[in-house]
Amino acid sequence: MRQGGDDASFELAPGPLVRPFAVTRGRAGKDLHELDIITLVVAVRPEADVAGLDREYGDILRMCQRRPLSIAEISAQMGLLLAAVKVLVSDLIQSGHLIYRSPPPSTTGRPDIKLLQAVLDGVRKL
Amino acid sequence: MVFVNSDPTAGSSDLSGVRAVKLLVAGGFGVGKTTLVTAVSEIKPLRTEERLSSLGSGIDDLTGVERKTTTTVALDFGRITINPEVVLYLFGTPGQDRFWFMWRELSVGALGAVVLADTRRLSDSFGSIDFFESRGIPFIVAVNCFDGAEVYDEAEVRQAVDIDDHVPVQLCDVRDRTSSKRVLVRLLEHLMSVATAGAAPSRW
Repeated sequence: MRQGGDDASFELAPGPLVRPFAVTRGRAGKDLHELDIITLVVAVRPEADVAGLDREYGDILRMCQRRPLSIAEISAQMGLLLAAVKVLVSDLIQSGHLIYRSPPPSTTGRPDIKLLQAVLDGVRKL
Repeated sequence: MVFVNSDPTAGSSDLSGVRAVKLLVAGGFGVGKTTLVTAVSEIKPLRTEERLSSLGSGIDDLTGVERKTTTTVALDFGRITINPEVVLYLFGTPGQDRFWFMWRELSVGALGAVVLADTRRLSDSFGSIDFFESRGIPFIVAVNCFDGAEVYDEAEVRQAVDIDDHVPVQLCDVRDRTSSKRVLVRLLEHLMSVATAGAAPSRW
């Protein structure tokens, strides 16, 4: 599905409903590095490194240069399902192109009061 | 803290000091969830989608799934950069209750939630309230006062939706940025008081 990248209408046409896992070659991912919807990722390889990568990998690497993005933002910007983005991001983590940081695992622990205070202060300043 | 595969010699990017947190905005269809997110977000709200059948069931094998009919559920979200270390994401949960309740990933790790209610259709918010109560996720009820809607006071709303006394109820107009901001402030103050009250209650 990567051939014919010069065909703009082809690139624009298929939405997430049409080809949910075509870009991941049918894989849903067994090892997704515990990626969450708000896991942040950032590129640790220069943009030039996208040469030779499949288009979707290159897109992700480009949008994550020097600014962390969440899985949700990547999904929204690419028009791909969250599950598909997790597979692609996982591949890029595996290959050393991206690093990631997932939120703490669960709500079972007591809330981080310093964190809550920081968020409250930030929202008050809006 | 999960943070792996970091190669300090590569690139100039670093994630070690950055955290992402999330708040949920739930409520019935058309109650103004996305409007609230839009009012306070620093970015134009984005929309992401997930396959319905993969929600709540973890990861499954999708070999051959391309040929099946796929149902997806969308959710809109916004972002507020709190400071260089903390990014807050606000997720407006999908209007169709039966879909978003399946979305376990969304509620896991959420700091708290706003249940947005419309006095003309208060019963639309019952599902969300029950959900957060049963999960022990602290929340407040925000009543979006639409033009022309009968104006109730907090006590009347509280009685109608049958919530505990210590769950804050806030009247608001989500089209207004200051009003929406006040909703978030109220929620965060509530989260602080719950957190400082000691043992996190599992039930309200």
